[in-house]
Amino acid sequence: MPIQYYIFLALALFSIGIIGVLTRRNAIIVFMCIELMLNSVNLLLVAFSKMHHAEALTAVADTTIGIDAQLFVFFIMVVAAAEVAVGLAIIVMMFRNTHSVDVHFLNRLKN
Amino acid sequence: MNAIIVSAVFGVLMMFASFLVNNKNVYRYLAIIGLSVLLLANILETYAIWSIKFDSFLQLSFERFGLFFNSIAIAATLFYVLLSGKDIVRVGNYSAEYFVLIFFILCGVSLITSYNSLLMLFLGIEIISIPLYILTGSDKKNLKSNEAALKYFLMGAFSTGLMLMGIALSYGAVGNFGLEGRGVVAFGGSMRVSFLEVAGLLLLFISMSFKASAAPFHFWTPDVYEGAPSVFTSFMATIVKATVFIGMIKLLEARTGIFGPTWQIILPLMIVLTLAIGNITAVFQQSVKRMLAYSSIAQAGFMLFALWSANDMGREGILLYSVAYTLATVGIFAVLVKMKDYTFDGFNGLAAKQPLVAASVAVFVLSLAGIPLTAGFFAKYFMLASAIKSGAGVWLLVVAVVFAAVSVYYYFRLIQAMYFKEGEAEMFEQPTNSFKGMLAIFAVLLIVLGIAPSLLFNYLYF
Amino acid sequence: MIPVLLITLPIFSGLMAFFMKGQSVKSWALLSSFAVLGISIWSLFSDANLLSYSQAWLPSLGSRFDLTMQDGLSKLMCLLTALSFPLVLISTQQNSSNQSPHFFALMLLTQAGLMGVFLAADALLFYFFWELALIPVYFLCSIWGGEKRIAVTFKFFIYTFVGSILMLVGILSLYYMQDTPSFAWSSLTANASKGIYPNWAFWLFFLAFAIKMPIFPLHTWQPDAYEQSPTPVTMILSGVMVKMGLFAAIRWLLPLFPKATEQFAWVIVCCSVIGMIYASLLAIRQDDIKRLIAYSSIAHIGLMSAVIFSGNASGMGGVMIQMFHHGVNVIGLWIVANAIEQKLGTRSLSEMGGLAQKAPTLSILLVVMSLANVALPLTNAFVGEFLMFNSLFKYNVWLTAVAGISIILAAVYTLNMVQKVIYGEVNSLTEKATDTPFNVNFSLVLIAILIVVMGVYPQPLLDLTKDAVTQLFAQQ
Repeated sequence: MPIQYYIFLALALFSIGIIGVLTRRNAIIVFMCIELMLNSVNLLLVAFSKMHHAEALTAVADTTIGIDAQLFVFFIMVVAAAEVAVGLAIIVMMFRNTHSVDVHFLNRLKN
Repeated sequence: MNAIIVSAVFGVLMMFASFLVNNKNVYRYLAIIGLSVLLLANILETYAIWSIKFDSFLQLSFERFGLFFNSIAIAATLFYVLLSGKDIVRVGNYSAEYFVLIFFILCGVSLITSYNSLLMLFLGIEIISIPLYILTGSDKKNLKSNEAALKYFLMGAFSTGLMLMGIALSYGAVGNFGLEGRGVVAFGGSMRVSFLEVAGLLLLFISMSFKASAAPFHFWTPDVYEGAPSVFTSFMATIVKATVFIGMIKLLEARTGIFGPTWQIILPLMIVLTLAIGNITAVFQQSVKRMLAYSSIAQAGFMLFALWSANDMGREGILLYSVAYTLATVGIFAVLVKMKDYTFDGFNGLAAKQPLVAASVAVFVLSLAGIPLTAGFFAKYFMLASAIKSGAGVWLLVVAVVFAAVSVYYYFRLIQAMYFKEGEAEMFEQPTNSFKGMLAIFAVLLIVLGIAPSLLFNYLYF
Repeated sequence: MIPVLLITLPIFSGLMAFFMKGQSVKSWALLSSFAVLGISIWSLFSDANLLSYSQAWLPSLGSRFDLTMQDGLSKLMCLLTALSFPLVLISTQQNSSNQSPHFFALMLLTQAGLMGVFLAADALLFYFFWELALIPVYFLCSIWGGEKRIAVTFKFFIYTFVGSILMLVGILSLYYMQDTPSFAWSSLTANASKGIYPNWAFWLFFLAFAIKMPIFPLHTWQPDAYEQSPTPVTMILSGVMVKMGLFAAIRWLLPLFPKATEQFAWVIVCCSVIGMIYASLLAIRQDDIKRLIAYSSIAHIGLMSAVIFSGNASGMGGVMIQMFHHGVNVIGLWIVANAIEQKLGTRSLSEMGGLAQKAPTLSILLVVMSLANVALPLTNAFVGEFLMFNSLFKYNVWLTAVAGISIILAAVYTLNMVQKVIYGEVNSLTEKATDTPFNVNFSLVLIAILIVVMGVYPQPLLDLTKDAVTQLFAQQ
């Protein structure tokens, strides 16, 4: 399958994520949209990894080019997990104080 | 490598300390000792005397510029803890953890100053950001702090997403994560590839602008800075922000020319926008803390000049700028934390009650405004000079200095309040002698650097 | 060596004064200012090799700590600065502002900044001192000034700050236009003859100087600032500080931008002449004695700036000596105004009258100062004014005719003031007035002697400034 398909898929997911972040009001859903953005990147990285690897194979028989992107994906997953840990804690803390996870309530600081 | 490892080790050690010892002062002293050791270790590496070495597979590269910035960041943190340590301990119940997080942030700082691959850049930014989310929300009972933390977290995670997409696109174009980005060129080097790379780097740049709070990606800054506990605001507005700029400089220098001539339009526009938004909105603030938040956007506008000029003078300038800006801002915040009333009127008559504190704050403010004889002047001077050296239009400089004059307006309100207005500036507690002494040292440092800025650079080139 | 002493001595004594207590600081400040005066007089007679000092400062930026008394103009301006401070400090002993050690400390720091401006031979250093002279004045006016002091001083500060920071951009852009970048005055001016400096840079410099002088559309900060400042500071502001602008125009602007000066001279001269008439007309309508002197000062400065940009050699000589004389005369006027305010507690002319009967000495001295302000022959101001009008006449007859009206107007408002203050009926307010104390009389008599002596025999000052004029016209 041509690489373009993967790029378009990833970008579509990414855009859905962005739109979700910008439009949704529930903090949890916003957070899920951010996760969607990260995962679309994972998908894209794996696709690129495969592409570069295949290209390098044509020149050198036994190459490791392209593996770094797959490693990167693991790093993203780890960091995303750390972010989930912190982020959910913050949302819970917020919920305890306001009994709501609606981000549109977040305008007390404005004035 | 010293700074990365030692800071991480101390971070973990402090975590153990938090359940072995139950004395807040001990944490503070441990942190001070840790930071001193960290500073020493980093200096030893700078002068190639002793360093931990192992193969990082080209992910990291250590050069004088980055190591020197490490020293600045660590020393600034040390000063910061010496000055505001007691206020850090007081924020919440988990005193030791705050220092732990600060150590981890320093680890991230050292990663950013030495990254040679976008993977390390990503990790560095995240290692800085995640502890900052926690620090922002550390005042758990305070709604404002909660809000700020949530806002900061959502914005930060969002910009992380952008950054990752940028890195992925750039990887697709060049085939590796190296900073230089030269490797396999896919698609036979066709036009579409370079489009991918440009798009990727642009996303990367945007996400770092988020972290550096440069307009038009600044909107989270005032709320977060105001909501976060003041001690931590001062940390993230200074050391962290300067670090992000170092990261941006490294990136743009390595990939210079990738954006082509449009770059000469985009970046000046960003500079003007950042200066305008930061300065003009700061004028209307009544709270000193919020004013400082907006002014930190304005200062970021000046730091952007270093990205534009991309020459040695700009690099020297950003170092001087981070020192001048950090010392002054940390100093003002240390005083601000002790004030009962955060508005300008809360400072009325401070000079009569606390002459030394007021005099130091006056020096900090003068430095932030860029008045000669303070380090702030040369910081701005280096930025302007480096830009003009790289052939910037004079209109850009004129706009910048006019906004510098606007900044005088709101900075000097603090001086007016302290010196010329009658009032009872109330503090939570009388500042101790050591606190006053530290403030005076800050002020003297700023003045010394304002007379002879080259003192700083002697250590850069020796 | 001398330039360094002139700057470091006031800085040192100023910093010491911060830590002093009580009355000793008065004598300390006076001692310091007399020492500076002594050094400044010494500079008139000393060897040339004592008159300059150079030291590496910021090697990486190409700037040196370079101080020179390169010609008579620098010497004259330093002399004015050195002379005015003792006069001011002596004559305002009784003012409420002159009781705090901080006041004297800031005054001495101002003196250091002013000296630096007149001595710097390096553009960046010049900028440094230019700002340095401003900061202490900002504090002085804001702490000890009148009711509206904070807002007014702030306006003054912002005005001058904008001007000076634009000048910094100008300095920077000139710096990088040279083949071998340098901030040195000699290098900058040497490159000017190649005509590599563009015209907009001229305006960047000009704005800073014009705001300081101030020239007509940019003068709005001045009357308010003079009125609201504590009188000792007003004396320094109008006596010495506005000369910074004139001096800088002669020292930096003309040699750096000969072509642009020629090209835009008419704009500046027109503005200056308009300013003269405008300020004179406003001066007539003033009731507040401080505001009256402020507007009269704008009118005088207008003439000087017009001649600077249009003048021939003799006119330029006239400007230079007039800078000195105007400084002395206006300080004299301020001292009288201050003495009256101290005595009567008001500055309003309409409330005064009959001072000639109650305070004869002060009245006589006021008349002398006023005549000098009108530039009557045999007073010091006459020579300069004559030379300046002569030179303006050669530039443009019509402008001279218009500017000439201001002489008449000056006579009107000055004599009107004299009449209202010293003649007329003694009223309830002036009844209690007595003659002024010795210290005021002493400084006023000193000024009066200067006025008469220099009016009769102006040659020494013309000789002193001759080399500056020759150098200026040799370059163009």
